[in-house]
Amino acid sequence: MVKKKVPDWLNSSLWATTTSSSSSADDDRLQRYSSKHSIIADTATPTEPLDGSPVPVSTPASIREQPPRPSKPEIKIKDKDKDSRNSVSSNINNNEEDNGNSVAGPSAEDISRQAQLLTELSKKVVNIRELRRIASQGIPDGAGIRSKVWKLLLGYLPADRSLWSSELAKKRSQYKHFKEELLINPSEITRRLEKSTVCENDEAKSESSGMLSRSQITHGEHPLSLGKTSIWNQFFQDAEIMEQIDRDVKRTHPDLHFFSGDSSFAKSNQEALKNILIVFAKLNPGIRYVQGMNEILAPLFYVFRNDPDEEMAACSEADTFFCFVELLSGFRDHFCQQLDNSVVGIRSTITKLSQLLKEHDEELWRHLEVTTKVNPQFYAFRWITLLLTQEFNFADCLHIWDTLLSDPEGPQETLLRICCAMLILIRRRLLAGDFTSNLKLLQNYPPTNISHLLYVANKLRAQPSG
Amino acid sequence: MVLVLAIGDLHIPHRAADLPPKFKSMLVPGKIQHIICTGNLCIKEVHDYLKSLCPDLHITHGEYDEDSRYPETKTLSIGQFKLGICHGHQVIPWGDLDSLAMLQRQLDVDILVTGHTHQFKAYKHEGGVVINPGSATGAYSSFTYDVNPSFVLMDIDGLRVVVYVYELIDGEVKVDKIDFKKTATTRSSN
Repeated sequence: MVKKKVPDWLNSSLWATTTSSSSSADDDRLQRYSSKHSIIADTATPTEPLDGSPVPVSTPASIREQPPRPSKPEIKIKDKDKDSRNSVSSNINNNEEDNGNSVAGPSAEDISRQAQLLTELSKKVVNIRELRRIASQGIPDGAGIRSKVWKLLLGYLPADRSLWSSELAKKRSQYKHFKEELLINPSEITRRLEKSTVCENDEAKSESSGMLSRSQITHGEHPLSLGKTSIWNQFFQDAEIMEQIDRDVKRTHPDLHFFSGDSSFAKSNQEALKNILIVFAKLNPGIRYVQGMNEILAPLFYVFRNDPDEEMAACSEADTFFCFVELLSGFRDHFCQQLDNSVVGIRSTITKLSQLLKEHDEELWRHLEVTTKVNPQFYAFRWITLLLTQEFNFADCLHIWDTLLSDPEGPQETLLRICCAMLILIRRRLLAGDFTSNLKLLQNYPPTNISHLLYVANKLRAQPSG
Repeated sequence: MVLVLAIGDLHIPHRAADLPPKFKSMLVPGKIQHIICTGNLCIKEVHDYLKSLCPDLHITHGEYDEDSRYPETKTLSIGQFKLGICHGHQVIPWGDLDSLAMLQRQLDVDILVTGHTHQFKAYKHEGGVVINPGSATGAYSSFTYDVNPSFVLMDIDGLRVVVYVYELIDGEVKVDKIDFKKTATTRSSN
């Protein structure tokens, strides 16, 4: 893709076909990979022993461990999760509208990256910094790698492998406790309280006729109680939030079979999402539930639930809960309305994005904010609060999150850089557009090559462009 | 966990002006899933008020009700329980437990809710349970002027019912509860 008046690094030949990359003086790996991919492209015959299946150059997901699956070039969104997971990666490769480059390259890169990740994961003590470095280039879709890596990056699993089973057991039982305490309805509570005091000769009495005996209620606990400490009252007050959560969960990703539809699988997934959100809302009375949290939760749960390891998948609800808490901890303030105008609130973050854009591409910044008066709040609000889940399709979103979670600068900084990159990539269209067309474009961001996007975002890190 | 309100014999406007304020403050919409009304409201405004508490309202005809379209008896199913409603002025002698038991067997229900006596009662016999929520306004009955306002809220949870009895005694709301379970085996039917 040729862009006029734009810095060279945006125009990297890394993304062109077959040539070995001389684009950047960055890491060796890039050089190594590009030379590798040029070899593959040149040979053009599927003599790669790397995966046993014929001509699967478009499926880096056909891994050594798993039996090779036939490549599915089109993404079937409505398919069952396993299929969609595999075809997802082929979509990443096929979704290259901007550059008509070869698909051979990423395959070798991916496979090698996967090998590195697996090596790293199998070490006794995982080197998190190393893991971050590899993961920031993207995590391949198979063998439950993403699930493990995300858990490590979010601090759920400790770096020391030997502690994994004890940590997991601890956390999972903690979640179970939370559920038991918080998801119970008042009838259950009264029944349990009574069990401790009931006399079993009630059974004998039940056969005879007569006036039913009245008994005292404890602490004025009855369903119509208006007392602040009454469990019934609290239950009814929470009912509104539960309804909101229920509605939002039902609307999450209606196009994916994993989340919606009539299958019992979808229903159980929805149940799990609901439970997690309810427990979170009850444990965090300051922030409760805000619309949009379901969108941040969805990719986490998807990845963990689809872990090929049965045991991990079965406990995915508990794992997702803790990882969700961790992920949200950096972004909590965006959801709190009172903090909107404060230093940590969403407005301030959007301003930071604006500053970043001004720093890197002043022309675009001026055109957007001054000339066409497109207030960044109109588009960036959703980008930032929902961590870009609504701007790209699900597969791309997972890919972006790989980088988001693994970047050592932290998710917030990385997110801003990616948003800035999103703007820069469509600068031509934006510069040519007016308020309406620009807003329309930004609110329906066009599909792009995610790897390119992340590459650009990465470049924004060190120094402003010339 | 289904909350069912059993209420009746309000006799508004003839014998009472309105529900006691302490009752009214407790009865808010959104908490109750069903209302069972024994009858003698008597006017449409009371019907509308009850409807605003809960859209699922079941009423039977009391002898002073102005709306003649209410049925004499009604049965419905809530959870595992079958409930029957009848105002009770049709069952003679009024308030006689054996006669009410006959009615219950006739309707074939686990819980029979009746009124007319303006006296709270909860009675168990082999055929099931009879509950009389009393008069929610404390209106005088055919027997006596000495009536305490009362109503009943049932919490149906599986095979178990917890009956909360709300009474206004000396200006204070007193709540008691009654527990009973339905045996899983069906009653002998012949």
